[in-house]
Amino acid sequence: MIEVYNELSDKLLVKLDIKEASLENADAFKTEVIELFDKYKRSIAIDMSSVEYIDSSFLGSIVSALKHLISFKQEMMLVGLNKDIANLFALTRLDKVFKIYSDFDELSK
Amino acid sequence: MAIHKPKQILLVDDDQLFLKLIERVFKKSGFECKSAPSAEAAIELLKKGEVNPDLILSDYEMLKMNGFEFRRYLMNDPAFQDIPFVFLTFFSDKDLMEKGLDLQAIDYVIKDTPINVIVSKINNILFTVDKQRELSENEVKKAAKSLNIKSIPIKAPEIQAFNVDFWHQAYHDIPGGDFIDFIKVNNRYNFIVLGDIMGKKWMAWFFTFGFLSYVRSAVRFAAFNNEYSTAKILQQVNSIICFDEVLKDILSSLSLLLIDSETNKITYSGAGDLPLLHYRSESAELNMISSSGLLLGLFAEGNYNEKEIILKQGDRLFIFTDGMIDFVDANGKKSDYNRFSKALKPFIAKENNFTEIVSNLFNHNLNEQVDDRSIISIYKN
Repeated sequence: MIEVYNELSDKLLVKLDIKEASLENADAFKTEVIELFDKYKRSIAIDMSSVEYIDSSFLGSIVSALKHLISFKQEMMLVGLNKDIANLFALTRLDKVFKIYSDFDELSK
Repeated sequence: MAIHKPKQILLVDDDQLFLKLIERVFKKSGFECKSAPSAEAAIELLKKGEVNPDLILSDYEMLKMNGFEFRRYLMNDPAFQDIPFVFLTFFSDKDLMEKGLDLQAIDYVIKDTPINVIVSKINNILFTVDKQRELSENEVKKAAKSLNIKSIPIKAPEIQAFNVDFWHQAYHDIPGGDFIDFIKVNNRYNFIVLGDIMGKKWMAWFFTFGFLSYVRSAVRFAAFNNEYSTAKILQQVNSIICFDEVLKDILSSLSLLLIDSETNKITYSGAGDLPLLHYRSESAELNMISSSGLLLGLFAEGNYNEKEIILKQGDRLFIFTDGMIDFVDANGKKSDYNRFSKALKPFIAKENNFTEIVSNLFNHNLNEQVDDRSIISIYKN
């Protein structure tokens, strides 16, 4: 589900390769992020541009993975959210919780 | 109304020819099939969330990890141990079969059985599993009913000078993470609570009671101390949840409103909830009212603020969960707040017509449902 793009010294760039992020893959996502974090011990930037829909169960998994990273003083960045998802994040104030970027280029600036 | 998805089978066999053959027959019979050439590949598919099978049909004799080792591996993982598992084998060896059934495999199928018979057998197994699940769910529903525990009230409260209505539809008719509560303090003050635990179905439903009891206690304590601040109540609930060992990994949105029937003022605080919609009768406008608070259980400091809302005669306020803005179109599932707001507006009449809105707008598109849906309407008389 998660593909590693690039290992930078301070963060890992990964891509979430699913269209519908929902209850069915929420737990697997959380486990994979935490496994990646345990292995690389650094912040994680997730390219979400393939994702078209996120349900609340999956949002819960993203947020709880974020909490895990924060407890180790690392960050989770979200990259390439589509318009509807970005809007949902803004409406529910999750845009204040995650650092959000339009693409990896913007992130590395 | 439940939407019936085709059943997904995960086929695991290192015999590519047999795999292709059996896959074709299952697909023809209306199943969705995923196949893996080894137990290791199957584990990877499962772990990556690329398959979410209703049943696993696995060969016994495979190189590296054999069927028994595969089954034992799955049994040790809580995420996969409950997926019905059926062995495929060439042997009609009694000991081998007994060993397989000891591993809580539902059944075994001899490989040289005609494939159509294998498909019928799997169909029967899935039917029995479904039936069993339905019976268990009914048992839980009955138990919950007899304990009189409810995450959704039976009827709306009567509040002086206002008309409060609500509508709730559980996802696939199974209670889920949405919860509603109306708390009457006295003739002057009434609290309205709408929450949504992040998750679906039974698991989310069980957690609603933990959240609801904290919200109820915080509201009661506040009222007891004559402190009518919705923001303080939310902050208190959030602090408790962040310390609760059981609830701390569970997140929930919450909209908390206090109606003061003496001043006709409504105070609102939100935790990661969707903005409310305020309909102004005078200008026939539908406007968003947003709050600043974060989801309950996210951080110890939730940044909760308070909004004061004055409803004039004929005005109304809609409070709703994210299931209301989800829909399905030809391209898949979507969430769109503005689309919901635009769809709702033409249905709003001068008088309180919530029942009509429900039957014309919400009941109308049940097939589009992808989550629990709840909406509360407050109409000013």
